[in-house]
Amino acid sequence: MAKVKTQKLKKFRTIEKAPAYEGYVPGHRTCQGCGPALCYRLIAKAAGPETIFVGPTGCMYVANTSYTCGPFAVPWTHAQITNGGAIGSGIEAAYQVLIRKGKYDGPLPNVIVMAGDGGTVDIGLQAMSAMMYRDHDALFVCYDNESYANTGIQTSPTTPYGANTTFTPPGKMVPEGKKLYPKDACQLVIGGHPAVKYVATASIAYPVDLMNKVIKALNYKGPTFLNIHSPCPKGWKFDADKLVQVGKMAIETGMWSLYEWEHGEFTYQREPEEILGVNEYMKLQGRFSHLTQEHIANQQAFVDAKLKAPGIAVELPTASSEPEM
Amino acid sequence: MSFIVPEERKVAQGVVIPSPVGENTDMITSNWRSQRPYMKDLDKCDMCRNCYIFCPDGCWTVDEENEVVIWNAKYCKGCLVCVTECTEKALDVADELDFDDGVVRLEKSF
Amino acid sequence: MAKEFTYSGCAASAQACAMAKVEVICSYPIRPYTAIMMELVKMIHNGELDAEFVHGEGEHAQFSVVIGASASGARALTGTSGVGMTYAMEVLSPIAGGRYPLQAAVADRALDPPGDFGSEHTDVMTARDQGWIIGWAETPQEVFDNHLINYRVGEDENVMLPQFVCQDGYFVSHIPGKVSVPEQSQVDEFLPPYKPHNPLNPKAPYIHAPQIKPNQGPVIDLQRAQAHLNTPKVIRQAVGEYNQIMGREYSPFLEEYRCEDAEMVIFIMGGHARTCRFAVDALRQKGVKIGMVKIRFVRPWPTDEVAECLSKFKAVGVVETSTSYGGAMKGGNLLHEVRASLYDLPVRPLTTSFMAGLGGEVVSLQGFNYVAETLTKAIAANKVNKYVQWIGFEPDWHEFVEAGG
Repeated sequence: MAKVKTQKLKKFRTIEKAPAYEGYVPGHRTCQGCGPALCYRLIAKAAGPETIFVGPTGCMYVANTSYTCGPFAVPWTHAQITNGGAIGSGIEAAYQVLIRKGKYDGPLPNVIVMAGDGGTVDIGLQAMSAMMYRDHDALFVCYDNESYANTGIQTSPTTPYGANTTFTPPGKMVPEGKKLYPKDACQLVIGGHPAVKYVATASIAYPVDLMNKVIKALNYKGPTFLNIHSPCPKGWKFDADKLVQVGKMAIETGMWSLYEWEHGEFTYQREPEEILGVNEYMKLQGRFSHLTQEHIANQQAFVDAKLKAPGIAVELPTASSEPEM
Repeated sequence: MSFIVPEERKVAQGVVIPSPVGENTDMITSNWRSQRPYMKDLDKCDMCRNCYIFCPDGCWTVDEENEVVIWNAKYCKGCLVCVTECTEKALDVADELDFDDGVVRLEKSF
Repeated sequence: MAKEFTYSGCAASAQACAMAKVEVICSYPIRPYTAIMMELVKMIHNGELDAEFVHGEGEHAQFSVVIGASASGARALTGTSGVGMTYAMEVLSPIAGGRYPLQAAVADRALDPPGDFGSEHTDVMTARDQGWIIGWAETPQEVFDNHLINYRVGEDENVMLPQFVCQDGYFVSHIPGKVSVPEQSQVDEFLPPYKPHNPLNPKAPYIHAPQIKPNQGPVIDLQRAQAHLNTPKVIRQAVGEYNQIMGREYSPFLEEYRCEDAEMVIFIMGGHARTCRFAVDALRQKGVKIGMVKIRFVRPWPTDEVAECLSKFKAVGVVETSTSYGGAMKGGNLLHEVRASLYDLPVRPLTTSFMAGLGGEVVSLQGFNYVAETLTKAIAANKVNKYVQWIGFEPDWHEFVEAGG
């Protein structure tokens, strides 16, 4: 019986020292300035060649593999949008037994599920949770572009309050467009999965931080989870070249926070000295252009509550909960 | 029973294809751009590597020895994130058709 | 030297898969197949089988976990019953189209509504269009043998298709029967290790299932159809070798029981064939020229074999333990495939479908006697009364029973 060897990837401090490896190569049908594509490239870079990706249906499947090709220099398999976590689990289980039986003589490959927000907390929630529960030595990544983008921008459970999507259009009866407040993917994982070793948020705006978190997650033996803010120029309606600026402003305003959770403790990264009002972020994006002062105040209240401390139940602003009669 | 499948329609068994090496030549995206980034002032470039790290398409590579960044004309979509993120404003934007090797974009859907 | 054990169908499944050295198993509980998984995990935890036992979060997940495993090069097994099958249905085509030769052990069960634990073939029959190899066993012995034969066939490089190895819930899965279990060396001789096709392996990277060009869709479908055209030959070869190594006498697709001078036959599948044999024997004693034809694989459907076999008889009673509401001939679904197979014959037997055993009901000797009487009347009149008869509910049935049938 052969022992399962694991990889030990090295962290680094500057872009200069980032791994040169490109596991996600040029040549894919993603939009100009695509946040999730950048996310993929950075993760593939950090993970290295001993990696197997699982790609549930979504932008990062359809756009990347149109047509009968793909930019993945490492092994990659499609998954249904429903079962990224399950297929990833199956790959990890297979390698455990194949290595043990001496049929594969490399280290345990990095098994990384790259799911969109829908494939993580909506239709893919069950499979994600089960992978976290079953102690698989694998990483589940949510590239969060806050919508079902591939099907033409529909709302998902991580779409922010007040966002205009084709399923939450603003109108007379529903002026804010989207009334529901988003799920918090990391809190879902942290809350009740005892086997999980490490949960973190990241953003494509801070690539060194992102890559080091990938490395940290992969170095842990056991299930790990990353939720990575991946702005979408097409869906959020901003000029492509502003990709990183939008990502940074999310953090400046508290609409996204960078943190890690391990050994039961939270640590924060890139905490702004002063948190700007949410409208500094929302005004950069066409998807919020219909909001009134009242809606902006609701958004502010929600973010203020969320920033108090993670893991504490958020009280939703009362103003939006009464329907217009 | 025998069948004749035209070459351009053939697919590998189970739709399992080899991974690309270095670049995915089946999706060349140069003709997406109407503008391109270019190194306007090399003296300003401090090799911060923002262009290299922020390109979703990996179109900037770093030549460590010569201390320059190299642009990939074949795949650049002209999103211009690199120009916006260039810390010293060494990169700038130009119209694609200003260049001899400028690529014309056809209005042709997939 | 083979050893004889008394196994339920579930235990036989577990024993066969353990001897096939399955490497990744994904479980989820649902009656009545659960015991297969219970037996396998006991073997693993006692150190008798080296495999990963993954607790799936549902049947859809089960079938998904084994995709990842099979794609990575591990011999994979899952299983289910009833609505678990229909819940998993999304991934059936990706598995078959991806050409992953994993196996699903099914102890069948009637579909909801409402909750009914009884046996019915409808659950897996519903999946006939998805591209899997599908077949039923009559006894725990046949269950055991089918698992090994199916891995061998499915993993053949000209096939590379997943397999449903089915058994009637409770009638086969839970009622024990004698099973002759071969030596491990005999199994190893018959079943070579799984050779995956371009697996997910960092040493030789491949992309599995990219988005395709629209004009390639038909090509993939054609390839899948071609795989099914390649399968019957492999089934014949595998069954022949299995018979030789293990000392069995299986016919690959159709078993003919007492058909030599039969005027009519009962066409049947799965566990109720057992009762049918007794019925045929009893009817023969009374001078009725009746036989039984039992089908072992519904996918690939053995069209030529069915046509050639049934052409010899004047009437065929197709006993159906599955439903296909609103279907052609207003009957079950075996009838459709039987009639389609017979269409080009210059002289066709009369055919009638008999809905029996639905919801887990026992198909009694009386039921088979009714079939025989109905077929006898049909031969005399040279036409069938009805294309489909529901045993237990037809006016003719009630008459038959009252008359002491």
